[in-house]
Amino acid sequence: MSELEQYLKDHKPVVKDDPTFLLEAQRRMDAVSGIKGEVDRQRRHGRRALIIALCAGLFLGVAVSAIAFFYPVNPESVGQGILDSLRLFLQSYKEYLLLPTALIAIALALVLFRNKRGSAWGAL
Amino acid sequence: MTRERFIDLVRAEQEPLRRFLLGLCCGDDVLADDIAQDALVRAYVASGNFLGLSKFSTWLFRIAYNCYIDHCRKPGREHAALESREALAVPSGDASDSRFRYQQLYQALERIPEKEKVAIVLFYFEDKSIKEISAILDMPAGTVKYHLSSGRGHLKQYIQL
Repeated sequence: MSELEQYLKDHKPVVKDDPTFLLEAQRRMDAVSGIKGEVDRQRRHGRRALIIALCAGLFLGVAVSAIAFFYPVNPESVGQGILDSLRLFLQSYKEYLLLPTALIAIALALVLFRNKRGSAWGAL
Repeated sequence: MTRERFIDLVRAEQEPLRRFLLGLCCGDDVLADDIAQDALVRAYVASGNFLGLSKFSTWLFRIAYNCYIDHCRKPGREHAALESREALAVPSGDASDSRFRYQQLYQALERIPEKEKVAIVLFYFEDKSIKEISAILDMPAGTVKYHLSSGRGHLKQYIQL
């Protein structure tokens, strides 16, 4: 251990014994108990919404898979529709669509990255 | 987490928390305790989010550090910091003896970059591991080591051993 490291270890700050510190903290906690109740309520609401969305997604996914499995559709019978037009459009203009798609993807990635950093600092 | 459970955990962590902030605030104990109170209130409000995936102290120190950062970003902080420096420089009364002993250290800490200061405080004053510091500061372990090394280099310039 270097001299500086020993100096730092020997000079740990010493806090004054303050019995009112925790009492003051408890007083402040009491003052924000309403806010905490609201935060807890919103968190519970968010969790419930997430579970409902998950269940609904699961149910719909299973239902659509079951319909597709038990009632298969002949692709030729539904051809010439809007999907074919869309596919034709994409095939014809794929070179021009590539650049905006890449730009949007990069922009989204940047926004998500900035949001993640922002939430890491500002969440609490 | 119930209020009683939270207070029990805080009771065990209050001294390290206050010491951590005292180091960050370079000996300004009034400011350090004020930020600590703010951190405890924020932690209490967010205590439902604490899932126990990390140590309670790590979670609490992270909140405290965020509170400290918020305080540093407040406008008019420079003026207040200058006043506190002046107060520290003039010893008066019993409390000044301990302040005087730490004066050189606090003045040196005040002159090094924030990231280096917090890494030094956590590692040497709070005996936190690199992994814990990495979790508290939300930065890779390699970056923490770099800040520690760089901080030691800077402190050597300001502390006469």
